[in-house]
Amino acid sequence: MTGSGARKERDGEQKPKQGHEQEVSAGTIALAVGILLLLLVPLAGKHMTHLVASALLLALAATSFNLLFGYTGLLSFGHALFWGVGGYTVAVMMARFGFGYVESVLAALVMSAVVGAAIGFLCVRHTRIYFAILTLAFGQMFYGIAVKWDFLGGSDGIYGLPRPFNSLELYYYVVLASVLVSLYVLRVVTRSSLGLSFMAVRDNAFRAEFLGIRVKVTRLQSFVISAVFTGLAGALWVLLETAIGPESMFWTHSAEFVFVTLLGGPSVFLGPLVGSFIYAFLADAAMSLTEYWLFVIGAVLIGIVLFFPHGVLGYTLERLGSRRGAVDGDGR
Amino acid sequence: MDLGLLAAQVFNGLVYSSILFLVSSGLTLIYGIMNVLNLAHGSLYMLGAYLGITVVVYALGGTPLAYLVAFLVVPPAVGLVGAVLERTLIRRTYPMGEEYQLLLTFGLILVFDDLVKMIWGAAYINFPDPNSFLGGLRFGVYTLPLYHVILILLGFSVFFGLWAFFGRTFTGKVMRAAAMDREVVEAMGIDVNRVFVSSFFLGSLLSGLGGISAGPLYTASPGMGTDIIVYSFAVIVIGGMGSIGGAMAGSLIVGVLRSLAISFYPQLEIVIVFVIMAAVLLVKPTGLFGRPEFERR
Repeated sequence: MTGSGARKERDGEQKPKQGHEQEVSAGTIALAVGILLLLLVPLAGKHMTHLVASALLLALAATSFNLLFGYTGLLSFGHALFWGVGGYTVAVMMARFGFGYVESVLAALVMSAVVGAAIGFLCVRHTRIYFAILTLAFGQMFYGIAVKWDFLGGSDGIYGLPRPFNSLELYYYVVLASVLVSLYVLRVVTRSSLGLSFMAVRDNAFRAEFLGIRVKVTRLQSFVISAVFTGLAGALWVLLETAIGPESMFWTHSAEFVFVTLLGGPSVFLGPLVGSFIYAFLADAAMSLTEYWLFVIGAVLIGIVLFFPHGVLGYTLERLGSRRGAVDGDGR
Repeated sequence: MDLGLLAAQVFNGLVYSSILFLVSSGLTLIYGIMNVLNLAHGSLYMLGAYLGITVVVYALGGTPLAYLVAFLVVPPAVGLVGAVLERTLIRRTYPMGEEYQLLLTFGLILVFDDLVKMIWGAAYINFPDPNSFLGGLRFGVYTLPLYHVILILLGFSVFFGLWAFFGRTFTGKVMRAAAMDREVVEAMGIDVNRVFVSSFFLGSLLSGLGGISAGPLYTASPGMGTDIIVYSFAVIVIGGMGSIGGAMAGSLIVGVLRSLAISFYPQLEIVIVFVIMAAVLLVKPTGLFGRPEFERR
């Protein structure tokens, strides 16, 4: 029993490990090809460059949203507020105070963190539907401020900002680099002990507390990290569009983050990214075909909920028979 | 502060409260009985307004009788749409998490918004003013438009009607029982599925009634559903989710405060509602009249 048993055990240990390595290398190749394609995007013309840049920023916001939703188990229905805080901070710093875009983006990060900490502090007292409605209320509150406050341009918003380098192509690479670095940072966070404690709180807050995890503090940490990266996405988006309006904080924009996350799959780290690209290209195609493109989006959303509740990427990975470990987010 | 203006704004606020109550009582009823938060509830309100304009203007030429017919026909038609949605789509999300219900019903909003644009166009549509044939009620120097007065009375009548329905009738009691314990109700030999369809029918009917009531006041537009739904959320959160009395209290608070803000502090029009909503959620998450069992699940 001694020798063969030990070997068996070791074999049993090694087998999934080999599968893991294979998967990683396949994933790495896919990732490398993806990044290469992203680097070549400006060759495909201005429309495509703009489209991919928007998709990348949506992906960053949705991945940050999913840190809170898929990993920490808190559904925010007001996340566009941080997008708006980041965006309006940049717009105000540049248009009202004449700062450059680097200082403005840095200020946007600070603002998002401060607002995220304040609102998060109030919101993490609740979970489930109450958390969703509370975040919705804060989102609408900020929308209401932006619509009515002349300093922020009222319902017209702030427009006519300069785009960095005066070049869409060069700015595209700024966006690409920022998003890739941010996604890498978020990936590191989810893999860290902090990320594990997010998941522990999500799966069983009661048990997590007994393990010494401070549940509300953990939720707040997730909330603030999520707010900062969503704010960054909004800040970079303003420089892409060279304008921002209050509708960027309306609750339907928050719902868009939820949508693309579920479209791709909340249980996989790159799910929101995949969902964002599918959404951006689907919306672009639908828009060129019909003025009723939101009808198409709505119908797709209904279909996703009914037939692919784990999202496109989640479904694909399940189909490929990937180990459970690859699905480390929600997994419900 | 001018007292006449204040009184006028409170009156306008009560009219808006009444509309809010019709919509949010339906929303809170469906949530209370079935634990479903239907985002598309606002779309049914919009549908009520558009079906209303169709019956009143396109079918019957804007006569006073047309209004009467529309008020009798449109709400049940919207109720039917709600019941069909429950049967075909929403029912399938019950085994999933509530986030999937929110998403599916958000998908419905997008579909409804564009459907309305396809059928009726994207422009705002005005109803013929019902006060032109209804006239007004004179109170000394003031004349109150009769249609507005009727709406206020309608809101309160529906409130008492619902109170009697849930307190006195067998069907109403069954619905309340189903909210408390599905399994026991089923064990009593009652078809719970029928209870669910009925509550969706009733809730959607109320939203449709709100829509056709609001149409002549605020015109019909494709974005009206997404606007009213967030206000209705505020109402039922403030009053307590699942409580009809709470919906009434919340509607009065939101309707009157918003109306006062519009004329005295216009910058606060939107913000004030959500500040109150957030404050209530933070201090007393079950709302003014909510029962704690709704948070436990």
